Amino acid sequence: MSADDTNDESKHPYETEDSFHPLGAEWEDQMRDELEDTEFDADLGMEMARDAQRLVAGELSEEEFYAEYHEDIEDEFEVDERPVFDDIDDVDLDAAEDESMLESLTDVDFENEDTSRREMMKKMGAGAAFLGYGAYATYDQDDEQIPENVSGIRPADKDEREHRWGMVIDLERCDGCLSCVTGCINENGTSTGANWMYVFTYDDEDTDQQNFLVRPCQHCSNAPCAKVCPVRARHVRSKDGLVLTDYEICIGCRYCQVACPYGVNYFQWGEPDVPMSDLENLEMRPEEVRSLDEEERHKKLSEANDHVYDERGRWTDSRPPKGVMGKCTMCPSRQDGHTDNPKGTVACQDACDEAGMSAIHFGDLDDPESRPNTYLERRQEVEESPKEKSEKFEDAEDYEQPPAPHPVSQLPTFKLLEDLNTEPNVTYIGNQPGANATETPEERPVPYESLSNDWGVKVVAERKEHLDYGARANGGLEEGEGEA
Amino acid sequence: MATKEQKEPEPADIIRPILNTSKWWYIGFGAAAAVALVWLAAFGFQLQEGLIVTNLADWGSGGGVTWGLYIGAFIWWVGIAHGGIILSAAVRLFGMTKYQPVARMAELLTLSALAMAGLYIVVHMGRPDRLVTSVVNAYPWTVQTSPLAWDVTVITLYFVMTATYIGLTLRYDTYQLRDRLPDILSPLYSVVLIGYSEKEDEVIERMVWWLALGIIVMAPLLLHGGVIPWLFSLIPSMPGWDGAIQGPQFLSIALTSALSGVIILAYSTRIAYDWDHIFTDRVVRGLTNWLGIFSLMFVWLQLQQVINGLFAAHVRPEVVMTAKLANPVYQMAIGIMAVVLAYIFAQAVKPSVFSQTRSLIASFGVLIATLSEKILFVYEGLAYPQFGLYDQVPGHYTPSLVELSSLAGTVALCAIIFMVILKLFPVIELHAVEGHDDHDEEVSS
Repeated sequence: MSADDTNDESKHPYETEDSFHPLGAEWEDQMRDELEDTEFDADLGMEMARDAQRLVAGELSEEEFYAEYHEDIEDEFEVDERPVFDDIDDVDLDAAEDESMLESLTDVDFENEDTSRREMMKKMGAGAAFLGYGAYATYDQDDEQIPENVSGIRPADKDEREHRWGMVIDLERCDGCLSCVTGCINENGTSTGANWMYVFTYDDEDTDQQNFLVRPCQHCSNAPCAKVCPVRARHVRSKDGLVLTDYEICIGCRYCQVACPYGVNYFQWGEPDVPMSDLENLEMRPEEVRSLDEEERHKKLSEANDHVYDERGRWTDSRPPKGVMGKCTMCPSRQDGHTDNPKGTVACQDACDEAGMSAIHFGDLDDPESRPNTYLERRQEVEESPKEKSEKFEDAEDYEQPPAPHPVSQLPTFKLLEDLNTEPNVTYIGNQPGANATETPEERPVPYESLSNDWGVKVVAERKEHLDYGARANGGLEEGEGEA
Repeated sequence: MATKEQKEPEPADIIRPILNTSKWWYIGFGAAAAVALVWLAAFGFQLQEGLIVTNLADWGSGGGVTWGLYIGAFIWWVGIAHGGIILSAAVRLFGMTKYQPVARMAELLTLSALAMAGLYIVVHMGRPDRLVTSVVNAYPWTVQTSPLAWDVTVITLYFVMTATYIGLTLRYDTYQLRDRLPDILSPLYSVVLIGYSEKEDEVIERMVWWLALGIIVMAPLLLHGGVIPWLFSLIPSMPGWDGAIQGPQFLSIALTSALSGVIILAYSTRIAYDWDHIFTDRVVRGLTNWLGIFSLMFVWLQLQQVINGLFAAHVRPEVVMTAKLANPVYQMAIGIMAVVLAYIFAQAVKPSVFSQTRSLIASFGVLIATLSEKILFVYEGLAYPQFGLYDQVPGHYTPSLVELSSLAGTVALCAIIFMVILKLFPVIELHAVEGHDDHDEEVSS
């Protein structure tokens, strides 16, 4: 119990009666024990840890956090060396403590912001000076000015969004059965080779075992694909962070595919294999669906068990039509609750569970009680704590430097290409593929080509060969047309 | 013409293409139109079937590249266009009167090359029908984040600037030569001359000077030294593209390609209209020397990239650089540049090595080298991404017939545009020949 935490300030969403920490009271007590062992003030440490959580969640500004503890830290350590902007000494810290410094600056500066920016927008088409301005404005967008049909490129702040959908994928449980691949195809009706869910079988230098990497779209919070889209067809849904493509807006320039580091995009080069009439959908034009009011739309979509529109009436789910981009959607029609499948589930996870593997854990990463968060927590508990591990050494003195106690579990986890700053929302349990890892298609336990699905669509691993066949077939047609 | 050494350039020379049309013009026009039509049919076929008629595919588990010849050719055309306008602006701004005869041709090349680049954007799209509606709707927001939106903006901006530039300078020429130009075109000339008075000449001169200054200043910052390379160099997940050197590299390619284009135009019109006293050996040799300087820059920047990619590089940059060096297309491009540089160096040292025909061949060589390098650049970037697990996916990219036909088609369209303008307006500025306006009265009919 963290009885020492007597701060009356508003509670962080993570906070429960017992604990402010997402990993729970037990973990917090352990942290306190470790702090007590040092010569420093444990209460201050715990209080700072609590506020650090709020800082990360964006409830507290860096300046407030800095100001609140500046004096305490100087008392305790004689110097405050936390990284912060250079001129902090010139700033009135007391004032900043009451009100966020940024906000006080905002009051002064941003009075004219609305009008000046609007004027600026008007001039943009004519001049080139906007480029510099654009770089400044990228992370400073005022939602109120953006029309409804232009989507954003970032999930809403934590306290404003409903969810942040994501996954924890336990690679140590994956056996490469490709059930998830089939599950995805059944749900979305994707064309041959457009494997929105793809599973690598690969060899790594140091291991003899077969490794698997399950690769859905990472639904990044800082998604490069959404940033580069020239029409905002590719966007990040504000309310829950899903990275989606509006099939009605996309112009098929494929810049999203170019900018994505993970190669998860699949363009619809020709006619889709599964016709629109075979998909479960409301028989209405997208603009009609959008024109309905929210309640009526939800009712109609629910009646139709629609798997094509999301709750905004945007055509973002199931396979794309010809000439536009598609990729793993994390099933928005399910998350908007108008299909027969429950909210908070995805097709690949269902298939994986059905196969008895339960390697994919989908859910709201903002919610500490969600399936991915509790799964990760349980896995970390099961893994030996570092302390137990170091006790196993019979004679610790044999080592000049005994293994340093580490505050996190020994369970290996990683996010893919995290240093590219994409903020992916898929966390993997298992070992990260090394720089020289090589895919070994011939060692796949189950070949893609052997998969069957509800649509009778052929499944292949490499789409290029299939597309080339299509190009050749059409090439023959072209000659015929030329003569006609 | 036997008396070319004695002949002085005069206004009658520059309107000759408008007054006389030989059978060769019709043959050339017919051939270009036929090629353009074949490509338009191929494009129509692509619209009907979708981009599956190209050999493009998804990168990643798809094993292909999603951008290829269309984007490579797009950058190439934009490069020619941007280089062309820089050339013309430099002539005006720095008073390089020697090159004044080629200034307007460089501008016309800019306009037609930009049009081809714009066409390639349309050809590249999966849904070109939505181009205007989708782009305009979200433009104020996408322009803050999307390099592609910057691209469209800058290309539009430069199209407007170049058209204004040409439009303004044409007014003086049209007014001065009005009486000698065919009556059948007078409605066109009246449009060009709306509101013209002789008093404006000085003002126009100043406006054009400022426009030229704007172009020269903005070219390295925004055009081929900025926005176009940013399409690629801002993508950190593709090591073949990543890096600040792409700005200077693209600019050097733009200038070499444009100079080559101008040399080719000068050579062709010189043959066709006996302009050997206007496009003298001195002019073409000067252009050839400039081509040498920029080709040297191109090769030097390539060397920088190769050394950076091989000496103690990260894993993936080394992979892509090794692949690039081993690619026959790259070897061919650099080989051509080496031969061109050898010729240009030799003729600089020993004038007898120079001939206009050799410079023409060198120009074609440079254009082929830059085009291949650009297409390869696009391909290599996507074929060797940071995420190396896809390396084992079998894949290759050879442009399909539909894609290849677009190259022939756009070159033909560009030629058509130029040939039509040749029949409407003087493609050499009156100012360039005005010093020798003595025979004015005799020649006019």
